[in-house]
Amino acid sequence: MDVDRFLTSPGSRRAFFRSAGVGFAGGSAVLLAACGDDGDSETGPASGATPDVEILNSALDLENTAVAAYAAGAPRLTGAVRALGAQFLGQEREHAAALGQAIKQLGGTPTKPKAAYDFPEFKGQEDVLNFALDLEGTAVAAYIDALPKVSDPELRGTASAILTNEAEHISVLLGALGRPQVPSAFVIGGL
Amino acid sequence: MADRVSIADGEADTAVIAEYEVSRRALVRRGIAVGSLSLAAASVPALLRARNAFAQAGDDRAIIEKAVGLEQTAVFAYAAAVASGRLNAKSTAVARLFGGQEQEHADALTAALKTLGGTPPPKPTAPRDVPGMAAATGSARRILTFLIALEESAVAAYYDAHQKLKDAKLLSAGSAIMANEGQHLVVLRQALDLNPVPTAFATGKA
Repeated sequence: MDVDRFLTSPGSRRAFFRSAGVGFAGGSAVLLAACGDDGDSETGPASGATPDVEILNSALDLENTAVAAYAAGAPRLTGAVRALGAQFLGQEREHAAALGQAIKQLGGTPTKPKAAYDFPEFKGQEDVLNFALDLEGTAVAAYIDALPKVSDPELRGTASAILTNEAEHISVLLGALGRPQVPSAFVIGGL
Repeated sequence: MADRVSIADGEADTAVIAEYEVSRRALVRRGIAVGSLSLAAASVPALLRARNAFAQAGDDRAIIEKAVGLEQTAVFAYAAAVASGRLNAKSTAVARLFGGQEQEHADALTAALKTLGGTPPPKPTAPRDVPGMAAATGSARRILTFLIALEESAVAAYYDAHQKLKDAKLLSAGSAIMANEGQHLVVLRQALDLNPVPTAFATGKA
């Protein structure tokens, strides 16, 4: 799926990781209570499922988009928020680098960043923060859905460390917008 | 990974990105320096046992049993922080909120554990039941520093669990809980004027 469509259409966002063979989960508390009630909930890909490279490349596409978004929004940020935005840009780059390296180690070819992204116009800091919040929430949802499909245990650990970092970004962004920073006990991302 | 990003509208030019990078490095340096000082003052060594909580856990039931224990410990620690009277009004409200969320984790994990045929471990009933807690009561800073160490140990434990859990639904739920613990860390670090997100990979292993 094209990343631009993914960004502009909530429905497309849900479809983004489905296209990589990753289903979209609902509330985790409910899932927890229901765990073990069927025979199709083991981690790792089932026969015919998406290989790790494809899942990681979908994640890399999200990270590349986040890098571009934080860079594009930089001129609209000020003061302490500007410094944090810069830090988050660097961390998204670290995620992209790690995913790219993992893809290469698996014999795959990392998805390259686009030459241009069709982001909405940012008229001020609040626009940037809200757009970043949307992206980060989507990333968290995507990683939570993708994690059980990843067959390599070490990669699952890495993905959990990245998604938790994205969740941390969300709390900072919410705080900068004057909103409650930790609104839910189960962070499943938002679309 | 590309070091430079091509932006369609041209607003983020090289100079802007360069300035951005300078401020980012400064912030990261400050976070590392302050964070190291803070960690040195905390009772972290005692918590190392909690960091390895899942190391000996062989199957999903054993992992979830350990996770219930961690969450029960967090519930107890936040309740003690609220009751201490050492926190200001804002931090007290935060501790109360986070304690409630830890209880939600504990409840959900306990339900999962029972489904797996397991039994929840005993809850802590005194500070001595929680490694490092008895020594972290003198001031708001010490309490918050301890809570940061506790949350980091939880993140580290869930990071390890992601490499061991077999059930996909437990894995997804573990991710949602681990992410929430990371968000707790953000608020606690901000309360101590620390860098709220010091690393790109939240492994809990500073």
